[in-house]
Amino acid sequence: MSRPFRSRPRRWWLALGWLLALLFAALLAPVLPLPYAPDTTDLTAIAEAPLTGSHWLGTDPLGRDLLAGLLFGARTALLVSLPAAALATLLGGLIGGIAGFWGNTGLRLPLSYAAAAAGTGLFLLGFHGSPTIVWAGASAVAAGLAGGVALLGRRGYRRTVAVPFDALALALMALLASIPLLVLVLALAALYPPSWPGLLAVLVLTYWPGPARLVRAEILRIRALPYIESGWALGLPAVRILWRHALPNCWHTLSATFPLSVATLIGLETTLSFLGVGLPPETASWGRLLAAARLAPTAWWLVLGPAAAIIGTTVALRQLAVREPAH
Amino acid sequence: MGRFLLHRLLRALLAAWAIISVIFLLSRAGAQERPPASRLAEGSLSATTASPVQRRQAGQLQQRRLGLTGPLFYVSAAPAPAAGLGWRWHWNGRANQYHQWLRRLVHANLGVSFRDGQPVTLLLGQSLRYTLPLTVGAAVCSIGLVWLVAPHLGRPSWRRRFLLGLFFVVDAVPLFVVALLLLLLLANPDALAWFPAYGLGPEDAAAPWPVRLQALAYHLALPLLTLTLASLPALAVPLDAALRHELRADYVLTARAKGLPDSLVIRHHALRNALLPALTLLTELLPGLVAGSVVVELVYSLPGMGRLLAEAAAAHDYPVLLGGVLLIALVRLLGQLLADWLYTLADPRIRLPV
Repeated sequence: MSRPFRSRPRRWWLALGWLLALLFAALLAPVLPLPYAPDTTDLTAIAEAPLTGSHWLGTDPLGRDLLAGLLFGARTALLVSLPAAALATLLGGLIGGIAGFWGNTGLRLPLSYAAAAAGTGLFLLGFHGSPTIVWAGASAVAAGLAGGVALLGRRGYRRTVAVPFDALALALMALLASIPLLVLVLALAALYPPSWPGLLAVLVLTYWPGPARLVRAEILRIRALPYIESGWALGLPAVRILWRHALPNCWHTLSATFPLSVATLIGLETTLSFLGVGLPPETASWGRLLAAARLAPTAWWLVLGPAAAIIGTTVALRQLAVREPAH
Repeated sequence: MGRFLLHRLLRALLAAWAIISVIFLLSRAGAQERPPASRLAEGSLSATTASPVQRRQAGQLQQRRLGLTGPLFYVSAAPAPAAGLGWRWHWNGRANQYHQWLRRLVHANLGVSFRDGQPVTLLLGQSLRYTLPLTVGAAVCSIGLVWLVAPHLGRPSWRRRFLLGLFFVVDAVPLFVVALLLLLLLANPDALAWFPAYGLGPEDAAAPWPVRLQALAYHLALPLLTLTLASLPALAVPLDAALRHELRADYVLTARAKGLPDSLVIRHHALRNALLPALTLLTELLPGLVAGSVVVELVYSLPGMGRLLAEAAAAHDYPVLLGGVLLIALVRLLGQLLADWLYTLADPRIRLPV
């Protein structure tokens, strides 16, 4: 899987170099000696072209420095897309792994435990009062249900019920897939006041089906392999087989698609910022720079700068994910 | 066949209904916490001159007029009173906002816009007059273009490398960047001023219809180009993979051996087999185009549904937003049905399982 570094094509190195530069720019943006702060207006230089005044890359129609906007925009893009991609991959990996590994019938709970848990939950939801009474009542209900189920029939305590994880996960994915991702994210992000955690939550909760589908397919394949069979034969617990033996083999699939997820999420973040949804208006973002460019149609530098940043980053991320065909 | 389609349709309808209900409930809960009236009145004259009591009354009146009062759902839960555990449940009956909304939805009444009080169905209908030609035109153009470039896909040539490289870049870049760059290049007095930069031009109702159609085509050309370019990679790249797979088959060798040129081998023999995996992509093509029009119509200032949706999202105009989302979900259902139908058309051997 891991090839010697020398055999990587030059494009791969170029992409990696761009991304590292971007990462450094994003990390160092607050301490770099920039001549102008990102969100301040300089009324003496309005829509100034690059290299004509004291602003190196020019300014927008409100007199904001483009260079500072680009650097802080890189920070925003990475601050949103990297955590969102990581969390969505983690959530999707867990849901897809569980759904693929246990399927609809694989995970069976003893009926008495299930009845006790359901009874406790219902009691806690439906009854209200002082804590001692509630807890005492809930315990009594749980014990009664568990005992009753165990006494039902001769071997009632061994009876089990299947938890249909797979059907649940697939239903959730179908739910989220019934609207295109951009429209879904737009609608959900518009419901809340713009903020960074809110945008992150919306992106994670809508993006996880992608990784989940991949991991589910991968686990379905792995589950039938002989080494998993031998794990079962050895009597290993199911959780350990899933966690130590099956999921690590999905790692290369997930790590190969991680750059693609980051690229997609950067695209979503910049699009939302361009539309004026998601992040607070004072946050610097490449999308917001491009929105400002619409106010001055002749200011080519306002389009070319952020567009070059977005194109460079997303294409570089895609380049990292490209699998060269085996020779 | 019919039963299979019905089954799939019902499942997709259920999913769409569930997600739209979730968005509705979230939006109404948000509207109750942060009433639209107070948000809209900020900065207006009455906000500074009215007394607090008057403002509160005006807010309540506005809430009632927009149907934002009363319980949200059939049941509502309140946390137990102080130092207690559990929830107090309350059954609200049919006098709740969700039920009212659903009832009106069945009667094709999507409510009124929070911003200007116009019926949402009217707004959507007006905007569809521009979005429909745009998206359907882009769908036809992209399918036609894929058909045109298909003979160059699947086998190594410099054209294929160029096309795949172009698709790779276009697919990676967000749509609004492509739109802005095309605008900068092709509708700019400093570069190439081939197309108008925005809008639809002056509406001249007296002009004969060919002139009006021509004006519409001239103004829609650049948005159409952008949408077509953006939807090509999703169709062409999987088709290329399928063609590469098909071209290794024996029947292709036979066709070549009897002396057919490569383009005919692909168009007449390989393409039909390669189409099967590509047909499912049509499910996503139409809703993808509508989603793309959100950005494209905003960039080119077209009064279409995408722009309506984007502006509604930015202004927290939830009824319009919900109406747009509902329409897009219906378009996706339509795309799915179309793809299923085409599936059986392309390969009559397929009998879809029930």
